[in-house]
Parts: sequence; structure tokens; C-alpha cells
Amino acid sequence: MSDFSVRSDNVDVEQIMRQIRGRIREKRGVDYTEDEIRELANVKLEKFLDPKGVRSELLEEFRRVRESTDTARNFSFEDTTLFASTRPFLRFLRRLLNPILKLFFNPTPLIEALHIQSRLNESYNRSEALSYELMHNLVIELTRTGIEVKNLKMRLESMSSRLDFDERRARALEGVVQYRPGSVPPLHPPTGQPTAQPGQHNELDNEGNERRSRRRRRRGRRRPGEFRTGTTPGAGESASAGDETGGSYDEGADTSTGDFDCGQSADAPSFAEAPHEPGTPKPQSGEGGAVAPKPPSGEGGAVAPKPQSGEGGAVAPKPQSGEGG
Amino acid sequence: MKLAVVVQRYGADINGGAELHARYIAERLSRHAEVEVLTTCAKNYVSWRNDLPTGVEQVNGITVRRFPVAHEREPYEFGRKSVRVFEQVHSVADELRWLDSEGPACPALVRHVEQASRNFDFILIFSYRYYHAWHVARRVPHKAVVVPTAERDPAIGLSIFGPVFRGVRAVMYNSPEECAMIQAASGNDRVPGVVVGVGSDVPDRTEPARFRRKFNIHRPFAVYIGRIDENKGCAELFSHYLRYAASFERGLDLVLIGSAIIDIPAHPKVHHLGFLDDRDKFDALAASDLLIMPSYFESLSMVALEAWALGRPVLANGRCDVLKGQCIRSNAGLYYERYEEFVEALYSLESNGPLNAHLGRNGRAYFKRHYAWPVIERKYLDMFAQLKKEVRPEGGSHAAGSYGAGSSSGGTESGRLKMEPLPNWFARRERRLPAGRDVLERIPYGHVRSGAA
Repeated sequence: MSDFSVRSDNVDVEQIMRQIRGRIREKRGVDYTEDEIRELANVKLEKFLDPKGVRSELLEEFRRVRESTDTARNFSFEDTTLFASTRPFLRFLRRLLNPILKLFFNPTPLIEALHIQSRLNESYNRSEALSYELMHNLVIELTRTGIEVKNLKMRLESMSSRLDFDERRARALEGVVQYRPGSVPPLHPPTGQPTAQPGQHNELDNEGNERRSRRRRRRGRRRPGEFRTGTTPGAGESASAGDETGGSYDEGADTSTGDFDCGQSADAPSFAEAPHEPGTPKPQSGEGGAVAPKPPSGEGGAVAPKPQSGEGGAVAPKPQSGEGG
Repeated sequence: MKLAVVVQRYGADINGGAELHARYIAERLSRHAEVEVLTTCAKNYVSWRNDLPTGVEQVNGITVRRFPVAHEREPYEFGRKSVRVFEQVHSVADELRWLDSEGPACPALVRHVEQASRNFDFILIFSYRYYHAWHVARRVPHKAVVVPTAERDPAIGLSIFGPVFRGVRAVMYNSPEECAMIQAASGNDRVPGVVVGVGSDVPDRTEPARFRRKFNIHRPFAVYIGRIDENKGCAELFSHYLRYAASFERGLDLVLIGSAIIDIPAHPKVHHLGFLDDRDKFDALAASDLLIMPSYFESLSMVALEAWALGRPVLANGRCDVLKGQCIRSNAGLYYERYEEFVEALYSLESNGPLNAHLGRNGRAYFKRHYAWPVIERKYLDMFAQLKKEVRPEGGSHAAGSYGAGSSSGGTESGRLKMEPLPNWFARRERRLPAGRDVLERIPYGHVRSGAA
């Protein structure tokens, strides 16, 4: 929320307040002015609210009704009202005789009572009007909330479609990246390479460089049980050594980042255990070179197994399960 | 030089804004002049009941002479008369009745000041809207220097105060906004005036850790200091804060210092500590992240100045022109007008350390520049020196004007300033003056960008 950069001694409170107001506008999304909201509440209420439930012209109608009915006009009663007159002489005379009148009875309680009554009438009238105002304001607030909900729904839809798009894009990018020879230093000197096991392919590429197996990690939507890949052929052995919390299901998990490492942390599910979508043939070893065979013992767990030979220098893109990459 | 300070209440334990202001000024000016305080026996500002003994006493080395209040305020009567003058067309007589009803009605004080005025060079009168201020200013305009402590309320729109502002020797304003408002309401531009405000006895050293230990408050917090009252914007503050606390569970706590007039929400993050002495108050300010000032009407917020003096930023209600103006001029506080702004500004001050520190530093510098005691004292002394040299304007009153109409009147009497006279008996009873609130609405509002303070 707070992202003001404070430079040396130059703090401008008005500038900060402008930033705060700008941010409030951003957060609100479409920022309607009060007038616009009122206009919407009055004119287009039926678009947001159930027109049967609430009337946008509530206040106007109330005023119309009030004007049309013969409501008794309130009176104001002050200490001078009893003695008031339009004729100055009469007024003067009454004032003059006022002390004599007070000899007969005390008008003060009467004046006070009527004054209180007048205030009560006024307060009643005001509160009646206020309750309609309140209802009217509630309608406006409801309209505002309706607009906001609509905005939020739109934003949510837009965000979810963007998320889907980004996901597809990420998978597509993972599929098209190509291996650049020499970008990763060999992990072991070529001379020190153990003899390839029968069935294993040459670990040197055409230029004689050692090729590291590259495992790409895929951040896909996980479904419950997806991590348990031991049932898939070719990955079963690896999976048996991994555990879910360990993150890598490949015994030979290579946590060092290679060219194709998308920067995922090592606890991301290994590419080898990409979930196998039902209906999609699981690539077998040698088919796409993507399913890493278990590394020969002695290599340790740190070195990832190499892709199958016969693929040439480039690593064939791993077909995304179900999506084809 | 001998000065009289006339104020509605006075005492070491009286902490109303204007009263504290008067005490600070009296104590500071006593270093440069002989100061005597003339006040009432009241302690309670609602009833003006005579709680203190009549006579002379010493308060922090200042001679204080107290006079009894003739009658207590009757809230019902006062309310009725307030409605009359603030909301309806009324007469000068109505305004005078309202003034008498508001109190503190203390004719003995007024008589004494009039009789003893020759013993004083100047008479400093605090709080223009009360009985004592109006009557004393009218009796001794040639020596009256008014410290209005005016807020933006309908009282400023009453016609009886215009001649007072136009007829006294000088006006010591609290803020440029107050100055602009009074000048617009009364047309007293020609009366010597200066924006002074008031300093504060901020300790050199505070102990925030002691405060935290004593009150068992260990989380970061924002503090509010003052009367916890709806008129001070506290209801709105609670509403905003509770929403903020629901959104930010780890956000700042709210510490409230002062006596409560309204209910305080029961919330684990809201701590009400009641009225605290100065030491605890300053330690609380030092321990806080910021001060919140939710008041809509202020003539000058002393507690905001104290927060700035201690290097703490202020989050103020932007609907109060004075507070907003001070925040902008000092570059030491943010302001809000609605919840969204409140929460954003509060979060910014809470989470952005450099911003908080910069605003605090600016506040400290602003306080030193405008509200340090030497600055305040100098402004008063300069004004007195200027008034002593001043050739009094011909015709008495500084500016022409009369009740409601603005026409010329006034004159000299034995070389003295003479206040514009009240209308005659009949004219005083003519109900033709506009409601105070209507007059107030016509007075321009808004903060002043530049000014002395």
C-alpha cells in the first residue's frame, strides 16, 4: 500500500495526499463521482437492483406526497409570541401590561410547554424527512455496491482468463526452448565417465561435450494424488526414492540450474513426474528422451541422468501431459 | 509594563484549550512584565458554578484574582437562545440575551477591570465568545488586546462581535485561517493583528519506555489526546479505526488520553487511559507512532504542536481548515476526509518509516520556527511595543462598522478608543439580523497556504 519514495528533505504533504487519492481511485477501479452515482441511482437503478423492490424516485415521491397533503404547518412559539401583534401600539400596550397579567397567572410554563411542543413537531417533521433521506441514501449505497460488485466480477473474469493464458504461454515456452551446447559446464570430466550401462545411450553429444540431463520443472495445477507417480512406468524407481515433502521425486534430482531450469525451486515436482493425463500416452524411455532413466549407481544423486541418445544435440521438447507442449 | 489577563477560568488543574493557553501566556509574559490574572470562581465550563473561593491567590507565581459568577448557566435556556440566534432571524437584544445565558456572567469582574484598567498597560482578553470578553472589551477598548481562540462556528456570525473585533487595540490570532475568518466576518483588517499561537512546555527528555511499562502497552500505537467527545470528531475516529483494525490485524493500536464524554468501543486494540498528567502525556506522545486529531473545529491544536515538538507526525481531519493548513504549511502531517483516506494515510505513516521520520523532523522544525517560546514571547512584546508607539486612529475605532450593516460610527472620548455604540433601545429589539449560521456559510473557508504559522 505504502510506496512513497522519500527523497532527502523534500517531503510534500500535498503531493503525498494526491498520491493517496490516486491510489484510492485505482483501487476502486472505475471511480464514479458522487453526482454520477446519484445519477445512476436515480436513472438506471433498474439495471442494478430489482425495480420491484425499490424505487429510484423514492425521495421525489415523498416530497410530492408531502406537498400535496394538507399537513398542519408547524408553529414557532417564543416568549414573545403571546404578546405579538402586527400593530406596534398594541404590542407596546401588551408589553406594558405584561407585569399586571403576571399578577393573575404565570404564563411561563405555558410558553415553555408550547415552545417544547413546537420543537417536538419540528423534530418529528425533520426525522420523518430524514428517514426518507436515509432510505434514499441506502438506495444510493446499494447502487454503489452493485456497481462495485459488477466491477469486481469483471476484474475477476479478466484475471482468471489472463491466468489461463499465462499458464498456456508458460507451457508453450517450456516446449520450444532449445538446448545450447556448452552453456552448462560438464559436471564430470569426460574421462571419468563410467561406462555406459547397456541400454544407456552415449552421454557425449556430437561435439564431444558432455551433456547434462536437463530436467525441466513444470508448475502445473496439481491435483490431489498427482505427486504419486510411482505407478507410471519409467518413473517408478525414482518415485520410490522421493517423498512428497522432499519436492523432487527423482533420485537424481539436480538442484543446480541448467539452461532449461525455469528458475523453479528444487521443491517443484520434477519434470520426470509430470502428471500423466488420462488418455494421453505416457512417453516411454527412448521415445522422447524426456523421461529420465534412473541414473546408474555410483553417479550419486546429484547428477541428473542424460537424455537418450539418438535424439541429436537438441533435447526434444517434453510433450506436456495432455497439452502437447 | 503591567499586564492583565482576563480569562473565563484559570488554574493549574484547568486544562481547557483557551484556559491552558491563557495560563501559558501569563506565565511566560511574567518574565517580561508584571502580570495579573483576572478570572471567575468557576471550574466547570458547562455550569460556571462557583467552585473556587473569591479573592486573590498565587498560581505558579502569578497573582490570580477571582470574582464570583452571578448566575449559573441553564442549559435549556441557553439551548433555546442558541437556536434563536444561530438558526433564525433575530435581534441584537436576542444576541445579548444569548451572551448572558452563555456566561460566565460575572459583572463584578467586568466592573473591576473597568476600574483598575488605569493600572495596566494592556489587558489581554481570551475567548471572544464569552460574556467576560465581550463586556471587558467594550469597557476598555483602548487597552484591550484580544486573543479570540475562534473556531468556525455560528457564534462568529453574530453581529455583537463585529464591533469588538473592530474596536480593540490588537488581535492575537492563533492561525492564518482564524485570522482570515475573523477578518471576513468583522472587517477588522485595519486592526493590528499577528498570528501567534502558543508554545508548550515540552520536556527536553521523554521516557517512552517508562510509559509502555506503566500502562502495559507494548505494541506500536497511534494516540489521541483530548476530550473524547463527538464534537471533537471522536465518533468518526472510532468508526474509522474499527474498520481499519478489522482490515489490518497487525496495525497500530489506538491509545486514548482524556476524559470520555461518549462511549468508547470495547476493542482489544483500543486503550483508554483517562486523564494523564503532563509527564505521562509527553511520554505517551514520544512512545507513539503518530498523533490523530479528528476534530472538525479547532482554533489551534496545542496537542498537535506538542506532537510536532516531539517529532511525531500528525494525522488530522482535513475538514478542519486550521489543522489541514498546519499540516500543509509544516509538511509534518497527513489528513483525511473519509475512511479510505484515513486508512491509506494511517497505513502510510505506520509502514513507511522514512516518511514518518521526515514528517516528524519537519514538525520539529516547524514548532521551533513558529511556536518556540522565545518566538511567541517576542511576538507579544513586539505587538505591545508597536501599540505603545501607535498613533491612535482618528475617530477612535480602527475601522468603520456597525451592527450588521457595516456603516461608520465611533468617536474619541478623552483620547481613548471608543467602541461602536449599541443600537438604541428600539433598534436593538428589531428582529432583522440574519441567523449566525447563514452568516458563517457566507464566510470563505479553506486552509491558507502561506502564513506566519
